[in-house]
Amino acid sequence: MTDVPSVVDRLDDLVRLDTGELDRRIFSDQEIFDLEMKNIFGRAWLFLCHDTQIPKRGDFFEAPMGSDNVLVVRQRDGSIRAFLNTCSHRGNAVCRAEEGNVRNFMCTYHGWTFGLDGELVGVPGKSIFYKDKLDLSKHPLRKVAQLDTYRGFVFATFDETAPPLEEYLGATGRLGLDLIAERGDMVAVPGVQKFTVQTNWKFTVDNVFDYYHPQITHMSAFSVGLIPAPPDDFVEGGAKSDTGANLEVPFLPTDLHNFVVVGEYGHAISGPDQESLEVSAGPEPFAWRHKPEVEERLGRHGGRVAGHPHIFPTTWVTTNAQLSLRVPRSPDVTEIWWFSFRDRNASQEEQAASLDSQIHFFGPAGMLEQEDGENWAQSTLQTKGLQSREVPQLLKMGLGTSEVVKEDGLAFMDAPINEHAQLWTYHAWREWLRNPSWEELRERTIPRDRY
Amino acid sequence: MTIEAPSATQSTVDAMVVQHQVEQFLYHEAALLDSHSYEEWVALFTDDAHYFMPLRRTMTRRQLHLEFTKPGEMAYFDENKTWLETRAAKFATGTSWAEDPPSRTRHLVTNVRIVKDDGHELAVHSNFLLYRTRLKNDVDQWVGRREDRLRRVGTGLAIVKRFIYLDQTVLQSGNLSTFF
Ligand code: FES
Ligand SMILES: [Fe+2]
Repeated sequence: MTDVPSVVDRLDDLVRLDTGELDRRIFSDQEIFDLEMKNIFGRAWLFLCHDTQIPKRGDFFEAPMGSDNVLVVRQRDGSIRAFLNTCSHRGNAVCRAEEGNVRNFMCTYHGWTFGLDGELVGVPGKSIFYKDKLDLSKHPLRKVAQLDTYRGFVFATFDETAPPLEEYLGATGRLGLDLIAERGDMVAVPGVQKFTVQTNWKFTVDNVFDYYHPQITHMSAFSVGLIPAPPDDFVEGGAKSDTGANLEVPFLPTDLHNFVVVGEYGHAISGPDQESLEVSAGPEPFAWRHKPEVEERLGRHGGRVAGHPHIFPTTWVTTNAQLSLRVPRSPDVTEIWWFSFRDRNASQEEQAASLDSQIHFFGPAGMLEQEDGENWAQSTLQTKGLQSREVPQLLKMGLGTSEVVKEDGLAFMDAPINEHAQLWTYHAWREWLRNPSWEELRERTIPRDRY
Repeated sequence: MTIEAPSATQSTVDAMVVQHQVEQFLYHEAALLDSHSYEEWVALFTDDAHYFMPLRRTMTRRQLHLEFTKPGEMAYFDENKTWLETRAAKFATGTSWAEDPPSRTRHLVTNVRIVKDDGHELAVHSNFLLYRTRLKNDVDQWVGRREDRLRRVGTGLAIVKRFIYLDQTVLQSGNLSTFF
């Protein structure tokens, strides 16, 4: 036995807001992971699927909730319920398909049968073997504690004391989802991409806010014109190739104008300010925002977001009407799930163009994302080296230089590219791990006036 | 039951020649990919080519017809020739880090069947194993089947359509930065 204190007793040292340093152990420690499952994924409102993925009675979709898998099921009365995919008899999964339509769920072990509402409705040998002594009403599939939808996005929590979904999302989280919902009459595109990266889930989350990496990580996507090429006078050196040559790092005008929002419970938004993005990308991608009712709904600040909203702990909204779920499976394995949306009232051509860009940017074959995974996998791997993990993880960019403005329920900063949102996420992560009351958690994640 | 010995009629000889041409074409194509000659590989596609890899989902037997997504739905690849050229160009930039250092790939193509031949185009089905190793010890394997439509052009063949059906639902690899 060693007398090294458990990482859990050292939460304060693991995330240092004053210096912008993290302890790398948080990316591979099993004890931390188990605590995350319990204190974060066991309590938070988690995204499950979209309303339009399960339109008809009996439609279901299997979704991850922390270390568990739940079946999200459309009921006879049109409502939605979710319950654990585990038989109340002896645990077998009652459903083996990832999605589909059923009349009921019959467990293939001994045949216990559950209705769409999760109630136990059939037990083989109920009178002969159980002598009618089994009270069926006592053994339904175990339900989630709360389930609710916000503008078609279905969320659930295992914590019955969790605040209502809208309150949990707050202005920041709601804005993230509004940025999809306001595009039109949005429906899910059939098919959820799912793939597996050998990384800790937190690398996949903090990368959502990272507008420092595209110019290097995704340099090849810039080169072939997937991302609009920056004007020549914004090319700046700094990186050198392994032959010693200067790489022309394509900084964009927007890099000086980022808009960062930090919100209660750990939600955040980071990335370019829309007005500055329109200068390089043109107004076309944002045309949908310029309708008066959309402008009103997004608000004067919400309409400036052209970066990435993220709903704590693992739900990322892209600028392309997609939503990505980072699914932790173990300390060093994370599944990435992509949900894509389109406006069912848009023309065929518009819908095709939208799908075309969704397929080509993200996902395992996406020309952006195929570059990301190895960075995260290698970063995770190095946190296992006894010496390597002693090197602090740095999130120092912009530290202490940004004023927070609080208006319309949002707390935001205008700054060049920075690492505020990442550090904010880790700050919230640490507070979640301490397992405070909801009230305490909210208080500890109220943004300060400066970061 | 007796099995009749095949008699080498002219039509079976012709069929064997076509089978041989098709197989040689697919092997040539695989060799181009394994030597990272992506631009040469893309040149094997016609200008109107469609290259498509759907998503696959575990569905019950009753709903197995919904197992794969279709064009117009989400996919891993849904490419016209221009997109294939863009992907090839991206590998050639020298900054496509997911392939630098380059992965080592081996495309094994088997079970080649010509299921239709109208004299102009051929429908060809095949199975594949794509084995990829990367860095010190990353290993990815993709097994699946392909449905190709090949067109006779000049003295050779060109790919008009390739649909790729993987035998995985949740992909076990961190990316698909390769071609099938
Ligand atoms: S485990 Fe489900 S019926 Fe026995
Ligand atoms: Fe990226």
